[in-house]
Amino acid sequence: MSEIDDATVMAWADGELDEVTRRRIERAATSDPVLSGRMEAQRQLRERLSTHYARVAEETVPDSLRALVEGDHVVAPMKGREPLRWRGWATGGAIAASLLIGLTVGRVTGGDAGPISAGDRGMIAQGPLAAALDTQLASAQGDTPYRIGLSFRRKGGGWCRSFDGAALAGVACREGERWQLQQVVPGSGDAAGYRQASSGDARIMATVDAMIADQPADATQERAARMAGWR
Amino acid sequence: MPFESDLLTLLPRLRRFAASLSHSRSDADDLCQAAVERALRSRDQWQPGTRLDSWMYRIMRNLWIDEGRSRQRAARTFAPAEAGEQVGYDGDRQIEAAVTLSDVDRAMASLPDEQREAIALVLVEGMSYKDAAAVLDIPMGTLTSRLVRGRGALIDMLGEAA
Repeated sequence: MSEIDDATVMAWADGELDEVTRRRIERAATSDPVLSGRMEAQRQLRERLSTHYARVAEETVPDSLRALVEGDHVVAPMKGREPLRWRGWATGGAIAASLLIGLTVGRVTGGDAGPISAGDRGMIAQGPLAAALDTQLASAQGDTPYRIGLSFRRKGGGWCRSFDGAALAGVACREGERWQLQQVVPGSGDAAGYRQASSGDARIMATVDAMIADQPADATQERAARMAGWR
Repeated sequence: MPFESDLLTLLPRLRRFAASLSHSRSDADDLCQAAVERALRSRDQWQPGTRLDSWMYRIMRNLWIDEGRSRQRAARTFAPAEAGEQVGYDGDRQIEAAVTLSDVDRAMASLPDEQREAIALVLVEGMSYKDAAAVLDIPMGTLTSRLVRGRGALIDMLGEAA
């Protein structure tokens, strides 16, 4: 009999084990038929439940339910949404950063030429920033205004990318055909000499950590995502 | 509007979660509708940038716990008579055709709420333990012990060929 407990076998089936433990249990299973049987039972249970209820998700949503959401949209448009997660980094030594962002965003949103437009959908990347987010690969980038840090899928689905430029660094997520900024901090090489933020900035890493679903995309996955239009 | 369009996108998953929590498809549809209504009423409480799916699961789960208990007691292995009574529900006929419960439905329905909701979030919705524990507002250790018990019971009920 094996000393591996039910919680560990279950966590294996749910993909919740760390790499070391996962390898250990899989190795143990090769010489322990009881253990491999327990693992298989857990795996099959998960598969059976998810297949069974997947049928519900594949059904056409009843019109009455859709209308509830769509009808509400027409009658009562949303108001007063806060487009950005400012609160998260409004502490610590961010006063200078806030000033800089105030100036930068104030300037760049003044016209079409800047990297960000502010609208009722939050802040949307445009111009060279949008182009970098659309096309640049973290694994292959030259001397461009923005560098891509990480590309990753967020919890709940959808692609996000961290970026770093002279004035701005941050995280943007794909919303339809656009990149919506989730977080903006001063970039790593702005003219005023601020060097407090980059895609390695702790605030950006914290945002990525909070949002990321799994692992950052590797070069192949990133390329495939770009090919698919970040859908 | 992002909130509404995100919510529309989530509807299939919300119906699935409702189906895995409830004992019948008519209960599931009522639950889903009630959750969407509540979400639309209290959308100001949702913080953009946080997960809408987690927020919706939480609303639905709380509704089920708060309001579903009496109905749940009434429902066992047979679909309740109310399946055909939802006035104005245009999906009635399809739902009545689908109320025959499968082994999986019956096995899930026999679990205590606390185990079923944990199983539903992790095995059906594919959430991580961390996210599921956050939706249910319980420590990870509590979540995993409920999962272990619930899964053990399901494997026993559904047999080796699960």
